[in-house]
Amino acid sequence: MNKIQRNLVAFAIFVVPALALYITFYLVPLFNSLQYSVTEWNGINDPVYTGLDNFQKAMQDEKFWVAFWNNIYFVLFSVFIQVPVIVVVSIMISSVRRMLDFYKLTVFLPSILSTASVGVIWQFIYAPDAGLLNQLLRSVGLESWAKIWLGDKTTAMFSILVTNGWQWTGFYIVLVLAAIFSIPKEMLEAGEIDGAVGWKKAWLLTIPLIRPVIVVTMLLSITGAMKAMDIVMIMTNGGPFHSTEVMATYMYKQAYSLSDFGYANAIAIIITIFTAILALVYHVINKRTEVDY
Amino acid sequence: MKKSLNLLLVTMMVFALALAGCGGGGEKKPADSGNGAAGDPQVEEFSLVVRHINVRATAQKTLKILEDVVKKTESEVPGLTFKLDGVEDTVNRDVKLKAEMQNNNQPPIFNLFGGADTQNYAKTGRLLNLTPILEELGLADQFYNLREFTVDGKVYGLPESGFVEGFFYNRKLFEEAGVQVPKTWEEFLKVCEALKAKGITPIALGAGGGDGWAANMLLNNLFVGLGGPEIQEGFVAGKSKWTDAPVVEAFKRIIDLKNKGYIDPNVLGLKYSQGQANFYTGKAAMLFDGSWAVSAITGQDSKVANDAGFFRMPNVGGGGDGYINGGWSNGYGFSGKLKEHELKAVKVFIKNFYTIENQTRGLVETSRIPSMKGVTDLSGANELTKSIGEQQASAKGAFPAFDAVVQQEVKVTLEGTIQEVLGGQISPEDAAKRLQEVQESANKK
Repeated sequence: MNKIQRNLVAFAIFVVPALALYITFYLVPLFNSLQYSVTEWNGINDPVYTGLDNFQKAMQDEKFWVAFWNNIYFVLFSVFIQVPVIVVVSIMISSVRRMLDFYKLTVFLPSILSTASVGVIWQFIYAPDAGLLNQLLRSVGLESWAKIWLGDKTTAMFSILVTNGWQWTGFYIVLVLAAIFSIPKEMLEAGEIDGAVGWKKAWLLTIPLIRPVIVVTMLLSITGAMKAMDIVMIMTNGGPFHSTEVMATYMYKQAYSLSDFGYANAIAIIITIFTAILALVYHVINKRTEVDY
Repeated sequence: MKKSLNLLLVTMMVFALALAGCGGGGEKKPADSGNGAAGDPQVEEFSLVVRHINVRATAQKTLKILEDVVKKTESEVPGLTFKLDGVEDTVNRDVKLKAEMQNNNQPPIFNLFGGADTQNYAKTGRLLNLTPILEELGLADQFYNLREFTVDGKVYGLPESGFVEGFFYNRKLFEEAGVQVPKTWEEFLKVCEALKAKGITPIALGAGGGDGWAANMLLNNLFVGLGGPEIQEGFVAGKSKWTDAPVVEAFKRIIDLKNKGYIDPNVLGLKYSQGQANFYTGKAAMLFDGSWAVSAITGQDSKVANDAGFFRMPNVGGGGDGYINGGWSNGYGFSGKLKEHELKAVKVFIKNFYTIENQTRGLVETSRIPSMKGVTDLSGANELTKSIGEQQASAKGAFPAFDAVVQQEVKVTLEGTIQEVLGGQISPEDAAKRLQEVQESANKK
């Protein structure tokens, strides 16, 4: 280890390529974005410096705030519905004796699909007439429950959240499962001898022991929710009437359908800042994450 | 030892892949003014990129026309080879071409939309002024309408084909309901009522998600019908307003159609293509759409290919009655920084591409409305295309879609607003007011 650090050439061989990629594809675009966010720029003309106008515009833009709150729903749904489901299902699967691989594969399958396919599949499920969901409801006599899921502002956002949850739950379950299986057997056995069985065992032993992984799962869910874009674009494209817009789709529209690249860059910066703040807050709340077996 | 050998191999493979990737990217660059190494020293070899959007299976016949032109042009210009570069239309329009324009490395020949796109690019000098070339080739009077490609009196692009909008209808379902093609709005409402009474959805429409524009076609035709073509021409100049009576009345009529159940109640849950499919699978009796829908309506999945007809917007009782909504907004533009020999090649391309023969092929083979005058031989065209042609020919005149006239902000605002109107979220008056506000702020820019 020390030998390599002293040998500058070897050091450079390992570090420079990664650093070069990082600078070209991360830092430079980020600074470009910062630069354009304080201009009025339609993508073709020369950018005109306008100071913080774009940021001010965002703060006063009703539709931007609709999008912001939708991101917050996204986060809340992930943290309070998706993560508990992930943990419960993982614990259930971990205690299965037979066909473990089958269950693992089944829950993991949706996350190997591309978001585009998932969006399209669920569009069919939610379709008003021929859709699986409405047909199911009709066939069991719940005609009145049938809805235009993606075309009604009261159900559209929730429908997207369910789809997003369906896609990613499996991926996190596999993460959590791995953590559960890495808990030393003797600890669990000791717990069982002391009388911790069933849900008691899960609550008092398993969950505290896999806490670090749950924390990471939550963090990934939060940051994923803040930058969600593709699933919304494919399923509703922000419609009906902007009720499912998220910050990233709003940014995309400002750039590519309104050619307001300055404003779009400002929104991009705001998304970055908000996500960083949320991640930081979360980090502070979860300071104590290490577990010593 | 073995491990490190494996590592080395993997590293080499990664590098090889990366290099291969670079190579692929590099080749796509327009390699202009070659080195003239081949054979004849007097003929300098060069190649020109043609960026087109005919990448879908449904566009194969359109691509064939372009390929034939390319071959012919290559044979007429010594040393020239074309490189066809097909890119999906919205990617080309919104991302690729835009980025190239920004860096001034646009291809010599490229698919171009009229209206705002052409204006922006022309202002920065990226586009070739075609006015003298049209004169030289004798094409100046050959096009129906070049307004969308004209900026400050100069022509910067040439439409490949055009479109008209109107109602497609299912003859069988009309017969079943015992109704005729309506001539007036009152008759139209009666037709809808009769169809609905038979349990048939009168108007297919999918305007959910990002497809609010699909409903705006009908709205546009209604307010121009009521207020005359001049109403939309006046929005930008401030001579007319979105809050004027015809626009408010048009919103009201849309709400009326929705509330009476004439427009598919699932309209906000369906995408444009799903709405269209409801018509061509025979589930709904009418579809308000552009002539580009013909390929879907007469396509393989269609159940109404032989039963579909077309009629113009019925008379709604205003200054725009008898007009048809149509435009010529997509075609080719050319780079403003061509070298002498490239310019010559481009001229030959224009001469070979914009011919009556190709326009006829476009109409007969792909059901596209010609952009040039003089297409008379319709033999081989399908019935639906012919009836569209008749409806266009018998119209008093054509007016462009409103989005070719107003600013992009207004268009995008109306796409969200029409969804609110259809969803019963906003009153016609408030919808009109909002649009006028956006219009005024866009006018100030």
